Amino acid sequence: MNIADREKFTEVIFENIRDGIVMLDKDFRIRAVNSSMGKWIVEPVSEIIGKDCREIFHDRSSICPHCAALNTFETGEPNVITQKGGSNDSPSFAELSAYPVKDETGQVMECVVFVQDITDRMLCHDEVLRLYNEVTQTKEYLEGIIENSADAIVTSDLNGLITSWNKGAERIYGFTKEEALGKFLPFVPEFLIDPEWENNQRMRNGEVLRRIETFRKRKDGKIITVSLTLSPIKNGAGDVIGISGITRDISEKKDVEKELVRRNQELSRLFFISSAMRGTLELERILRMVLTAVTMGDGLGFNRAILFLIDENRNVLKGAMGVGPSSHEEAFHIWGKLSMERKTLPDIMQDIEIGALKKDSFFDRLSVGIDIPLTEETILTKAVKEKTLFNIEDVTKEPLSDAVLVQQMGTQAYAVVPLVSRNKVLGVLWVDNYFNRRPITDEDMKFLTAFSNHVASAIENARLFEQVKLAEQELENIFESISDMVYFVTEDYVVKSINKAVSRRLGKSPEEIIGKKCYEVFHSMSEPWTKCPHHKTVETRTSFVEEVEDPFLGGTCIISSSPIFDTAGAFIGTVNIVSDVTELKNLRERVIKTERMAALGEVAARVAHEIRNPLVSLGGFAKRLEKRLDGGLKEYADIIAKEVERLETILNEILGFVKEARIMKETVNAGKVIEEVIAPMQAEIEDKGVVLVKEFGEPIEIFVDPNRMKDALLNILRNSVQAVEAGGTVTVKTYRKESECVFEIADTGPGISEADKPFIFDPFFTTKKTGTGLGLTITHRIIEEHAGRIEVSTESGKGSTFSVFIPLKNEK
Amino acid sequence: MKILIVDDDLHIQRLYKEEFEDEGYEVVVASNGKEAMEKFEQEAPDIVTLDILLPDVDGIRILRQMKEKNPKIPVIMSTAYDYRDDFAVWASEAYIVKSSDLDELKAMIKKLLNKQ
Repeated sequence: MNIADREKFTEVIFENIRDGIVMLDKDFRIRAVNSSMGKWIVEPVSEIIGKDCREIFHDRSSICPHCAALNTFETGEPNVITQKGGSNDSPSFAELSAYPVKDETGQVMECVVFVQDITDRMLCHDEVLRLYNEVTQTKEYLEGIIENSADAIVTSDLNGLITSWNKGAERIYGFTKEEALGKFLPFVPEFLIDPEWENNQRMRNGEVLRRIETFRKRKDGKIITVSLTLSPIKNGAGDVIGISGITRDISEKKDVEKELVRRNQELSRLFFISSAMRGTLELERILRMVLTAVTMGDGLGFNRAILFLIDENRNVLKGAMGVGPSSHEEAFHIWGKLSMERKTLPDIMQDIEIGALKKDSFFDRLSVGIDIPLTEETILTKAVKEKTLFNIEDVTKEPLSDAVLVQQMGTQAYAVVPLVSRNKVLGVLWVDNYFNRRPITDEDMKFLTAFSNHVASAIENARLFEQVKLAEQELENIFESISDMVYFVTEDYVVKSINKAVSRRLGKSPEEIIGKKCYEVFHSMSEPWTKCPHHKTVETRTSFVEEVEDPFLGGTCIISSSPIFDTAGAFIGTVNIVSDVTELKNLRERVIKTERMAALGEVAARVAHEIRNPLVSLGGFAKRLEKRLDGGLKEYADIIAKEVERLETILNEILGFVKEARIMKETVNAGKVIEEVIAPMQAEIEDKGVVLVKEFGEPIEIFVDPNRMKDALLNILRNSVQAVEAGGTVTVKTYRKESECVFEIADTGPGISEADKPFIFDPFFTTKKTGTGLGLTITHRIIEEHAGRIEVSTESGKGSTFSVFIPLKNEK
Repeated sequence: MKILIVDDDLHIQRLYKEEFEDEGYEVVVASNGKEAMEKFEQEAPDIVTLDILLPDVDGIRILRQMKEKNPKIPVIMSTAYDYRDDFAVWASEAYIVKSSDLDELKAMIKKLLNKQ
């Protein structure tokens, strides 16, 4: 290459090279600069030639060629410096290389400085450095983990020869690192070699096995349960070259876990029983459930259990129930199979009710027979008195052992826990392990105690419930069976509840009464009855007791109405008790009547003697006189005799009425009786032109004094016949109604006036000109003598109906 | 035939005496218990009508005494008041409530005497 070519070549490089180039003389004046230098300076490159380099760069640019050149001018050697510019977030880096240009004497005349942007290179370098540090740290960290890990971390080659062994492995397996390295899987038990080899194959295929549970053998031969994660080790090319295994000893955890599961199951069963107990309030069932839980193999697992409850009246601890097999054979054949596992609540209930746990087993009967006086000093009574539990490990060494249990149950060791609810001892739970002789542990006792608390409160609840139920039943019974009407009415007159008497009296079903307005159902009114005590109670909020003549129901009632207030004190309604005193009133009246009769009787006996005797001689002599006389005088004597006879008849009626007639009862047909009543009236009926209708149904046997009964009915029939006009009708019926025989005599006469009606049975009451007023009184009396009753319904202008009710023979 | 009539009412005594004599009977009367027993023993009547309410002794005791002396004697209790229920078991043959109509009494006497 000639000079011209070289210059040309240099020129091309100088202008086109990406690095900036600047040439400085000894005074650091810029002698030449290429265009690439333009990105480092503000001014155009052509304008900086001849200027002092320090002025152009140094403080004004991120680079300074002067700094690089300075050393080269002094030493004559090339000099390379790196300068940093830009911000911290986006730094820029430049590498400045200064090369000397020397004269013939070796003096540095000029300096050429190359400026290269090395920002990218610099940043990349930083990253690598950072990564390296990180990897180093991680490695140290991992090594630390491996070394210090509680887990055994072991690597092996593909043949199973150990290649690394950490401290965890030493601890878990018992082999030291030296003992293990190079050995063939020293920790795999013989029986697991084959499956282990399969794992090895899977590792070769690149699989990872995570947390599989398996067994490992320690150096001392003990088998332990481990959790194992196996992964293949690959080289850079991805080929599997070894296996790493991380092993954790979970034997202890496993044991704890097993224990936990067991306890959990137990608890869940007890909880199951507990909830079942809470679910029932029936004492008997609760007791049985308790004992079931105590004796079932997967419950508390005792062989036998007895519940003793305190009988406060007799001051004894009484065996309430016992559960357990009665012989070894039963214990192993039947009892052993009992389990709550995989059973539903109904299944267990089935077992409890009809299975081996059933009531009335031999052991149960034995248990129920035990009474321990609380005055005695025994373990059971101490448990009650001191509210403490006892675990008697050997009855022969405990002087206070319950002799009855030792003798009758053959127990040799037992435990007792008091059942305490709300600080009150209800009884004790006794358990033993008679059949398998398993000692009762502290753990058992703890469990028993916890369980006994549930039991006590369940028993307490059941008892309270029973008491409440009993009280409720009693109240209900009283409420229902009380013969008075009892009902509850709300403030707005709605009937809320009633007893049977109400529906009986109203002749309506409870559905027809409850929910209705009381004044509608009781009084058939469309608005409250002002005389009603309930109404008054609603108005005044105070109790009322009043005797009320009820216009709708009829009869006389004593009504007591009391306000009810809810717990907040608000008035919510009234309780009404209605006694129908109609009967009482009638009875009262009857007593008065009877007294009157008795008084009448005395009068009658006197009247009989004082009046009858004169009448007898008066009439008797008048008759004798009549026989001897003729004409007008004979007629006078006859009149005297007849009038005397009439007086005697009246006297007989009066006396016959007051006399206590002896009743001669016999079984007769009601139809025959009434026929014999009609017979003597037949002539009068026909004479008067009265239509007699007879309606005798089936033959009805009654047990009565036929003559008295005829007298009674005759009086009614005579009245009826006399009451009707010619052409009127008298209807005579006999029929059976419930437990009574009814004689019904109805007429189409004028009826009985409302004013007369209350008095028709009174002695001497008559509306007839010639009556004695004793007919119906006698009738009434005779019917009463036969424990019957008489009812009259009458309507003015339409007639009257007399109904005589006589109890049927078999009812008497 | 002899009838003994025991009644403290003198009018009734006389009425009965006249009526029964008309019928053809021999009649003796007594007005009290003492007299009744005397006549009963002296006269030995075939039949007796006996009132209960007497001034001295009651008719029931007289009845018993008469029946003790002569158990076969027919006695008709004849009273103003019907005591049949009060003295259920009587030894008398018949009972009648006095009446001005003597036909029933006469029929009763005839029947009892015919029985003998």
